[in-house]
Formats: sequence, C-alpha cells, structure tokens
Amino acid sequence: MSIIEMNKVTFGYEQQPVLKSLSLSVETNSFWAVVGPNGAGKSTFLNLLCGQLKPDEGKVHVDGKPASSYSSQQLARILSMVRQEFVPVFGFSVRQTVMMARFYRRTSALFENADDIKAVDAALAATDTAAFADRPLGHLSGGERQRVFIARALAQETPVLLLDEPTSHLDLKHQIRIFDLLKQMQQEQGKTILLVTHDLNMAAQYCDRALLLGAGGAFFQGLPEQVLESGQIQSIFGVQGHQGQLQQRKFFIPLGRFSMDRPEKPA
Amino acid sequence: MILTSKKLILRCGLAGLLLIVVMVACLMIGSRNQLSTGEYLSFFKALHGPEIDGLPNVHYEIFFRSRFPRIVLAAIVGAALACSGVVFQAILRNPLADPYILGVSSGAGLGSIIAVMLGWTWTFWGLSALTAASFIGAMGTVWLVWNIGKVTGRVHVTGLLLAGVVVNALFSAVIMFLSSIATASKFQTTMLWLMGNFAELDQISPLVASGIIVLLGIVFLMLLGNQLNILSFGRQDARTLGVPIERTCFLAFGCAALITSVAVSLSGLVGFVGLVVPHAVRLVAGPDHRQLIPLSAIIGAAFLVLADAVARVVVAPAMLPVGVVTAMVGGPFFLILLIRYTKTVHWGNA
Repeated sequence: MSIIEMNKVTFGYEQQPVLKSLSLSVETNSFWAVVGPNGAGKSTFLNLLCGQLKPDEGKVHVDGKPASSYSSQQLARILSMVRQEFVPVFGFSVRQTVMMARFYRRTSALFENADDIKAVDAALAATDTAAFADRPLGHLSGGERQRVFIARALAQETPVLLLDEPTSHLDLKHQIRIFDLLKQMQQEQGKTILLVTHDLNMAAQYCDRALLLGAGGAFFQGLPEQVLESGQIQSIFGVQGHQGQLQQRKFFIPLGRFSMDRPEKPA
Repeated sequence: MILTSKKLILRCGLAGLLLIVVMVACLMIGSRNQLSTGEYLSFFKALHGPEIDGLPNVHYEIFFRSRFPRIVLAAIVGAALACSGVVFQAILRNPLADPYILGVSSGAGLGSIIAVMLGWTWTFWGLSALTAASFIGAMGTVWLVWNIGKVTGRVHVTGLLLAGVVVNALFSAVIMFLSSIATASKFQTTMLWLMGNFAELDQISPLVASGIIVLLGIVFLMLLGNQLNILSFGRQDARTLGVPIERTCFLAFGCAALITSVAVSLSGLVGFVGLVVPHAVRLVAGPDHRQLIPLSAIIGAAFLVLADAVARVVVAPAMLPVGVVTAMVGGPFFLILLIRYTKTVHWGNA
C-alpha cells in the first residue's frame, strides 16, 4: 500500500523548472533517500509532500487524499518534519521544544498530560538529548540542536517522517546513531521515512528506495543500487569518483582534481 | 520544567500579590501630602467615606476619586500594552517588537484623533466611538506590518523597526497636523496625549468596560499560548506541528490590536512597556507563552502604576506625562537590546 503518491508533478520557481513530471509512489514502511546537487529541488520535494507548496501541475496524494485538502492539524497526525538547522528566537528549552510536537493531539487542553511527558522522555532518550533537556536550544551546538528536532519529530508519533538533511551537522558517531534509530523505527514501528541527504554512502547503506534529483527536473528513482550508480552520480553531480561495493551495498568516493589515484582524467 | 496549571496559578498569584502591594504603595504616594489647611493626608480618614459630619471628606476625594481611578487606569493600560508586546514578538519572531515601536499605537492614536475631529461621540456599553476608531487604526497598522512581513518572507529585525519608525513618524505628523488645524487648546492636549498621559478621571465607570475587555483579551491570548510558542519557531514548523497559521495569527493580532487600542484611547501613546516588561519576565520565568502572557500582563500593570507614581511625584506639584517616564527607562533598554541582538544573532534564513 502506498502512503504517498505523486502523479506527474511539475513545479518551478519563476519559470525555472525544479521538478518536471515527477511520478512516484512511496510504499508504507519504506525508507527513501532523496539525493541530488544543491538547488535540484530536494527541499521543494518535501515541501510539496507536506502541503507547504502546491504543484503547478500534477497531483500529490497523502494517505489517499490530496495533500492540500488536509488541515494543518490533520496533516500533523500523518507527517512530521525535521527541517534544516535554524536559530531560535526565544530561549525555549530542549524539553519545551520537543513538547511542542504533542500540541496537535490536545488542541483544547492548555497543559500537557502524562502521555505527552512519557512520549517526550522516550524521544529524548532515543536521540541522546536527555542530558541537556533543560538547557535552552540557543546554548547547544548545531549538531545537538539537530538531534533535538529529530526528537521532536519522534515525539509527534506520526506514521511518516520527513527529514531534510538531518545529519548535516552531526559527527560520525551521531550520524550513525540517527540512521540506526531511523532504521529501527522503520523496522520495529512500521514507519515510512523520507530523508534528504548529501551523504550518498549512508543513503546506500540504509535506504531501500532512492530518488536522485538533477538540475532542470531530471530524476532517477528505484532501488539504491540502481539509482546510486556511478555513471548516474557522475553525470548528475558533475564530479568524478570511484565506486566500490561492500556487502552488496554500493559506495561512491568522489575524487577531486588533485586526487592521486583518480581513475580517469577529468574531461 | 514542564508547566502545569498548579505552577501557573501559583506564579500568577505571586505576581498578583506584587501588583497589589505596588498599587497600595502608589496610592499612598502623590504630589500633595499636605492639605491647604496644613493637615496631613490620611488614608485612615479617607476610609470614613465621602462625607464626615456632613462635610465633604477631602481625604476620600484625593485617595478614591483622584488617585485610585488613575492607578486602575495605569494598571489596565500597562497590562494591555505588555501583553500585546508579547504577542507581536511571538508572531513576528522579533524580540524587539512592541505596539509603540511597530506604530500600532500611533495607528490607534490617529484613529481616535480622527474620531474627535469628526465629532463622533456615541457610546455603546461603555465603549466610545474613540475606542472603535482607534481599533480600526490599530488593525490597519497591524495589516500593514503583516504585509511588510509577507513581502520579505520573514519580518527582519531591522526592516521591521524601520517600517515602524516610518509609520510612527507619518502618523504622528498627521496627528499633529490635524490637531494644529483644530484649536490651540486642543493642540496642547494632543501634545500631552502623544507623550502618553493619564487624563484626570473623576469617575471609575468608563474604566470598568475597558478593564473587562482587556482582561478578556489577556485570557483569550493566554489560551493561544501553545500556538504562540510554536509560531515563534516559524510558520513552516508551525504548519507541520499542526497549528492553523492564518487563523491563529488573525485571532492573536486582532486581539492584541483590540487591547492596544483600548489602552491608547485611555492614555495616548505610552511607549516601551510592551518591550521592557516581556523581556524582564522572560528572564525570570522563561519563554512559555501560556505563562509569559498572564505574568507580563500583571507585571506590566505594576510597572506602569509605578511609572505613573514617579510621573506624579518627580516634578510635583506639576505632573509629567507617564510616557516620558517609560521612554526614559525603555529607550536605553531598547538600545542595549538592539546592540545585543544585532551582534549575537544571525537573522538569516529560518
């Protein structure tokens, strides 16, 4: 069963096409990686899914209904979103921030209940953020803050998680922890995960579907070993690199001009 | 760290106690402490009622007919301005927003001046044409600010302040122009009013309706506390967390504009209360709007009662407009904040 359906979606900013006739179907309980160079429309893709943007042409369906037909409260039951890092204006603590994920469940009650507190504690523990739960967001490092926003998405307890570069500020250990956690949530709780990332190798390691977006609306989608294939990556990103294989998963090492063992001369 | 109803009630109770202490203390302070007969003012004699032995009780007159309404007025205006300051700051995601700085107060002022010029004098359930006209002026300015924000995507701190300065200057000029083509005596009144002035009130009844509106407004805004918390993280986040953005912003802005216009029609342009008070309260009690709104209202009331007491005493027997006192406190405070925020915070994309 597919929970997200895109049918010939076209979208552009001021006549600059970003997505062109993109059709895809996201099965429930799948783990998608969305990759591509800057400006290829990865964030736009997520914003179309959560109803933040409306397609110029085509249809976006979430759980059988057009994404734009949901109220924000209804959509908050299905999708949660982790956005790219930003600077908070006021000094909300980590716990207060994560607690905001519970709002849509109790719009008439002013205060949190025991369930909310339990869900938030679990999300803090899962993301390794409980230690600084009572510190203001602004006092954290970029990476710590990113984990807090992942915790907030977890506390929202939605079947679908959208993540926009959730590991871009994280060190190796925490990158792996977050990917492990997401994989675990997919496997144990049946969540559907769509994740935008620049890390092709993490994508290849963890995802079971990939979407590669290129400039001007070009795209490839399918199994990671088909999509994250050396030739396609080199043409879409315009870089040279070396592809290898580790336990049936492909990996790609980009090679610069001054790299010693680059396989071929740049064109 | 999680707010519960118990904690909220306790803290509001404590702040309320502080407000009562400040109000009683300021009731004892005034520009006159000695009567023309040489007798000292006595609060206990005031408690005897309006008449003693068939003669008017001067003590009662001063305490309950002169000072008390003025203190209640200051409390209402302070609560309204501090509370709407909190709301503007949350929705515009800008810690320097305040009804006065944004020009909402002068929009309300322009509305009420026009009502005076046109000779509108009707009243409805204690509400005057003045309040209605100032509400329209305030809403118009809010609409303007809102659209400046929409054009730039996000209300940028300096862009917003510039817009506020321009709106303020423009509206003040129109107010001055309108009052100068009226009469000389009106001009004097307008000048005082532009600086924020508590007019002599000889009765408390017009305050009742205003007080009720402001109180209801504050309670209503407090109930939007969760939504305001989330909105301060930006509209994109608010949408995915389930906040109906347009409706919430409309309700919160409308309500903030309403209580601002009630305050302005009572007292003229009193500045910086909506800036200083929420900051001070946030430092002590944190940013949670469910708590920040009622606490700012109570502390704002106490602050303005105190500022008014200073205004009454400092150049006694004359009186300063209270706006002069709040601007003297708030102006430097504003500059410090401006320097701090432009230095440490990157107002980039959100």
